[in-house]
Amino acid sequence: MARLILSRSALALISLLAVSVIIFWCVEWLPGDAATRILGRDATAQSLALLRHKLHLDLPGWQRYLTWLGGALRGDFGVSLVADRPVLDYVRGRAANTLTLAAFVLALYVPLSVGLGLWTAVARGRAADHVVSVLVIFGMCVPEYVVGILLTMVFALALPWFPPLALIDQVHDLAGLLRVLFLPAVTLTAAMTAYAVRLMRENLIDVLDSGYVQMARLKGLPRWRVLLWHALPNALGPALNVTALNIAWLMGGIVVVETVFNFPGLGRLLVDSISLKDVPVILAASLLLTVVYILCNLAADIASLLLNPKLRAG
Amino acid sequence: MSASADAMRASPMAGPRRSLLGLPPAASLAAVVLIGYVAVALTGPLWAPYGPAEVLVGDPFEPPSLVHLFGTDNLGRDVFSRVVYGSRPVLAMAASSTGLAVILGGMIGLLLAYRRGWVDELGMRVIDILMSVPPLVLALLLISALGSSGVLVVLTVAFLFAPRVARIVRASTLAIVTEDYVTAAVTRGESAVGIALRELLPNVAGTLFVEFSIRTGYAIVFIGALGFLGFGAPPPAPEWGLMINEGYSNINASFWPVMAPAASMAVLVIAVNLFTEGLARRIGQRGLAGLRE
Repeated sequence: MARLILSRSALALISLLAVSVIIFWCVEWLPGDAATRILGRDATAQSLALLRHKLHLDLPGWQRYLTWLGGALRGDFGVSLVADRPVLDYVRGRAANTLTLAAFVLALYVPLSVGLGLWTAVARGRAADHVVSVLVIFGMCVPEYVVGILLTMVFALALPWFPPLALIDQVHDLAGLLRVLFLPAVTLTAAMTAYAVRLMRENLIDVLDSGYVQMARLKGLPRWRVLLWHALPNALGPALNVTALNIAWLMGGIVVVETVFNFPGLGRLLVDSISLKDVPVILAASLLLTVVYILCNLAADIASLLLNPKLRAG
Repeated sequence: MSASADAMRASPMAGPRRSLLGLPPAASLAAVVLIGYVAVALTGPLWAPYGPAEVLVGDPFEPPSLVHLFGTDNLGRDVFSRVVYGSRPVLAMAASSTGLAVILGGMIGLLLAYRRGWVDELGMRVIDILMSVPPLVLALLLISALGSSGVLVVLTVAFLFAPRVARIVRASTLAIVTEDYVTAAVTRGESAVGIALRELLPNVAGTLFVEFSIRTGYAIVFIGALGFLGFGAPPPAPEWGLMINEGYSNINASFWPVMAPAASMAVLVIAVNLFTEGLARRIGQRGLAGLRE
């Protein structure tokens, strides 16, 4: 068991290295080199050569990759080409914003998924179940940018309850923070919850039909106790796995949703730095998103290993 | 003795709630909607009232009227015509990228499961690595490095989906590769290609269909997201994702340029997914519960 987890972790580490190579080479292919982009088209050959030397662009690619990787491991991502500031300064603030958003999303996601999952499993076949099922289909199918825009149109433009743009840097108190984060968080939560509720419901229905829950019922235990003590824990395992995968999905979801709401987070930083061709920032932002993505997938793997006796034996 | 025959026995076709092709009612309705989309895409240019890039066919931001069913956008273009034309790139790109991914991934999956041993080990590790990059991040990087064009978007999406398809096809091939009829074919001295095509492929065809169907839904959303982020076809392409983006910056003037493409995309994706789910249940495969990975 420990060996399996260890080998999964080693594989994740190798993947991360391989991915860092992929990311580095993608950025290498960007049209035009950094020196030309900074100095503009009518720079003299001499100043170009000077800047190339300063940016180490005259070194071979693999050498620059190793230098970059070495720096990244120590938390040094170089200097932004556009703002002439250490990349880390930028990324730190943006990552903090994204983390705040993600924390809010999880605070909505967990109780909603468990609650709706329980409710629909118990009320299976009744009207409430059908209504939630339809909502789940919507949440799973409708792209997050459409959901975000629809929410903005209703709750920010038609009814001025929330700001249409999530300008988190201009917020000073908790109430303002919640107001600003609400729409983007709901948008992301909708997609994630839909998957989790569906899975929770299916698992819970299986568990509720099992002889073990029947036994608890026949013992005369109260309904809520059977639900919360006997059924729920058995359905939580797969939900953990889905939650890890959902957080991994979030790494792409935030790129889109942060763009919809103009939210200054990591995803938005990635899109902006790509359009500015700010190579060190692109590298840092995509590497950070990838690290979280790989860690979440690893967590999902390990969760299903720990929870599945069949996989444990194999 | 095929897997789909087993599935048919498990879920009998007979019964009052089955209709079109033995699909459940919601999936049949979805199929009709999908046929409608394809018909619009094929015949749209024949009857769309205006060209997709014709500017100032009306005033900017006109509300819906009989002349402009969905109003006009910031450049006075007819939103209805643009939405009609926009169905063409969406369907063509989603279907071709998914088709490519399923063909490529299917071949790789069959090969890995058939050869097993170190080829399989190596292939699976490469697939694991390819799947450990967040798809959207990799797509943005690839497209910005290689330049944005419709063909490149299709190739990128196919490249991202192929390893995911390969993994699933491999899993369902592994389940049948030890069956007696495969061993018999090997003993008869059939070639590897012959075995893959005649013995294995027919038995994983169901998996391939469902994969194609699921991935098409993802591809529509994904390609739309690329367009929305400005990484798809450049303006003035009548691409729904791009139209949503352009309309969104003028949403205070008129919401029709956003609503029309957004609703068209939402209905299309829901239809694809309902159809997929019906199809999957019909041939006894996993449905949407397989997370978007």
